[in-house]
Amino acid sequence: MEKKVLWRVIVIVAVVAAALWSLWPPEEKIRWGLDLEGGVHLVLQVQTDDAIKAELDDAAQRLVSFAADEGVALGATTVDAEAFRFSVEVPSGADREVLEDVIGRNFPDYDITKSGTSWTVAFKPNIERFIRDQAVRKGLETINNRIDQFGVAEPVIQRQGIEGDRILIQLPGVDDPERVKKIIKSTAFLEFKEVMQGPAPDRPSLLAGFAGLPPADGEVMSGPRTGIAGETLGRSYYLVKKSSIITGRDLRSARRSQDEYGMPNVQFDLVPTAAEKFGEYTSSHIGIPMAIVLDNNVMSAPTIRARITDSGVIEGNYSIEEAEDLALILRAGALPATMVYLEERTVGPSLGHDSVVRGVRAAVSGLVAVMIFMLVYYKLSGLNADLALMINIIILMGAMAYFGATLTLPGIAGVILTIGMAVDANVLIFERIREELRVGKTVKSAIDTGFSRAFGTILDANLTTLIAALFLFQFGTGPVKGFAVTLSIGIFASVFTAVFVSRTIYMITLAGRDRVQTLSI
Amino acid sequence: MRIIGDTNIPFLSYRKIALSLSMLVILGGLAYELLGPGLNLGIDFVGGTQVTVKFRSEPDLGRLRDSMMDLEAGTPSLQRFDEPEKYEILIRVENPEGEEGDFTGPIIELLNRDLNGGLGDGFDLNTKGAQALTLLLAVEDPDNTGLDQEGAAEHYGPMADAVLSFRKVNGIFTSMDQLGAIEGISDNARALIEDRGVVGEFALLGAESVGPAVGADLQNKARAAIGFSLLGMLIYIWLRFQLPFGVGAVAALFHDVLITLSALSITGREINLPTVAAILALVGYSVNDSVVVFDRVRENLKLHRGEDLEGLMNTSINQTLSRTFITSGTTLMVVLSLYFFGGDVINTFAFVLLIGIIVGTYSSIFVASPVALWVHRLLAARRDSKRKKGRR
Repeated sequence: MEKKVLWRVIVIVAVVAAALWSLWPPEEKIRWGLDLEGGVHLVLQVQTDDAIKAELDDAAQRLVSFAADEGVALGATTVDAEAFRFSVEVPSGADREVLEDVIGRNFPDYDITKSGTSWTVAFKPNIERFIRDQAVRKGLETINNRIDQFGVAEPVIQRQGIEGDRILIQLPGVDDPERVKKIIKSTAFLEFKEVMQGPAPDRPSLLAGFAGLPPADGEVMSGPRTGIAGETLGRSYYLVKKSSIITGRDLRSARRSQDEYGMPNVQFDLVPTAAEKFGEYTSSHIGIPMAIVLDNNVMSAPTIRARITDSGVIEGNYSIEEAEDLALILRAGALPATMVYLEERTVGPSLGHDSVVRGVRAAVSGLVAVMIFMLVYYKLSGLNADLALMINIIILMGAMAYFGATLTLPGIAGVILTIGMAVDANVLIFERIREELRVGKTVKSAIDTGFSRAFGTILDANLTTLIAALFLFQFGTGPVKGFAVTLSIGIFASVFTAVFVSRTIYMITLAGRDRVQTLSI
Repeated sequence: MRIIGDTNIPFLSYRKIALSLSMLVILGGLAYELLGPGLNLGIDFVGGTQVTVKFRSEPDLGRLRDSMMDLEAGTPSLQRFDEPEKYEILIRVENPEGEEGDFTGPIIELLNRDLNGGLGDGFDLNTKGAQALTLLLAVEDPDNTGLDQEGAAEHYGPMADAVLSFRKVNGIFTSMDQLGAIEGISDNARALIEDRGVVGEFALLGAESVGPAVGADLQNKARAAIGFSLLGMLIYIWLRFQLPFGVGAVAALFHDVLITLSALSITGREINLPTVAAILALVGYSVNDSVVVFDRVRENLKLHRGEDLEGLMNTSINQTLSRTFITSGTTLMVVLSLYFFGGDVINTFAFVLLIGIIVGTYSSIFVASPVALWVHRLLAARRDSKRKKGRR
């Protein structure tokens, strides 16, 4: 074999070997898209306004309680979340210097504007953005925790969006998407609050003793009312203290358990500091009901019978699964803000399985049809093209495995389309060779001219297709991106195989036969 | 073997008829799109929720429609998915005006309420997942392993996976008897599942939900992708060839895209993200065809300097005709196999390519070169008149 040909063979063998090596074993190396494997793709938006409001609410309450600790009694607070501030009534008799000192020490992120008896406390510049950013970070972390605890293999959880307030979640192989979605989305904000009045069947009767309006330190909350058999009978209304005794943040752990009748419930432990606070409170409030509030729903309002310190139980007519999920989200922590689903794409495993079977069937039947056609139309040269096509597919799959590209259903379509278009380069060359043969050139020079003349055309034709593929990649999402990737790789692979591999095959088969008279084409 | 021999068809002489025909089809299509039902934009672009559900037996569409009326969203539409004997239904609702949110949950709740109301609190093998089944088995511990929760979950996990993998392959349990055929579960566990489990009327095959914000975003991206690739090609061909050829190729692309969109509108097929991908693939394919002809024209221009462009174009089209047909043929073969075997999910994708390849082949002969010739003559005429002005 000539040295030149030998080098070409070495290059081809090396490329094919590298493709096979990066591809092997295929079931591990080819990453399947969610649309083939089954799974959930979610985009959530963090309602960061919630976090702003929560921060202001919290700050207002803290200010009142810190001031009270210093002996300054403050009036009502009003939160204006849209303007990033709250105002507080400062009675004329209050010690303003002490108050200013309290604010200066405890609220470094706020500016005060004093106007008479109403002080306005507002975010310093940039604090708003910082809180929003924190909310998304915390949300991301919490969702990460929850998914980790739920046990999903290879999840993708990323922050995205121009504002950075979107979270992308991809969970492959999930077979109960609704349950996972609930676990992700639940705010899971747990609070224990003192009950001032209730339960009552409706709001007016609850507030009858308060002239129809809740007192300044109280608010009305409600929860489902259940019968003995667990059936829902409507809602119960409670008047509870605005400030919480403890919250979900004070939980050290939570787990599913059951009561003496075998009804599932959730047991929790408190961190030591909270346990102390809780013990103090419960020992001084024996006989008073305490509301257990989850996401603004009163789950139950048991009466305190004894001092409780480091652990407790949340009951609420749960199924085993619900209790398990509640324990999970309590362990993982509350979300700092509510989440809204912007996008969801769930593909059940059976639909994905079906797509794979059909996609492969379409690809194989298309491939076989094209190969048979090439063989019939171009005879032995067709065999050359078929060989090049096989190598093309190996390189395509190998490159996909190497780049970690994901195979999606449109991606399979891209492979199929590549098969159709890959032979185009061969057709261009063969037709050109036939033309050259017709005008009476020798086999060798016909092949030489055929390849060199067709090369420019092949390059131009494929580069224009590549332009379309690149823009598709730039603007596409998910499965469509997969299509763009396979199409782009396929373009490179087909130029290589048609121009380089086919040429080499001719060189080998025609080597040593200097006076070739006929070419099977 | 040779399908097309040496031809000498004066293609460009038919350009007036061909261009009029194309204009007629395009205008007819546009009229149908604008005055008729328009393009059927899928939820990817308008926002909404689309749920594919498989039923155990022939579903009662009227009853399903009644159930869906309780949904607090736009009017739901129901249609069959895939082959009728698979009992698969696609339920689609649009989001209420400007409202974000996902209606998969509510749709499933309504189906559960109306179809599975009689199941009580049994464990529904058609809606619950492997994790829930593992939990049920671990709590009940039918094998009396005596292990703690974690150990029990490890013991029963593979059994739950085995049960669920049946659903993965078949889509739905049609009766509890099918449990008997599943290997890898202990007899006690099987008995417990038979006792506590129920077989619900439906299983969720897939769900897609796109909010209006994302829908608008995707619409912009789709437009940008198509717009930029057309522009990119115009520039590339302009640089590699000459401006008239760039204009000719892009005119052919517009022609193909518009006719394909008309075909989508007339058949009422839904336009989704994969459809846009298919349109871009067709753009790539169609320009490929035009470039091959132009390349030959460029080559012939060098060989036969001073000859009339129209004649050269005719020669070039004839010389590449056999390649044009063979490539269209092989691509058509694979696209047809995609169209017939690819399944419902990919069917519209294949349809776009099918129409696109036929129209694209036509346009590379009858639109790209005629338009290029026309622009060439226009520019030449302008140059001439400028030159004359300059002399004066």
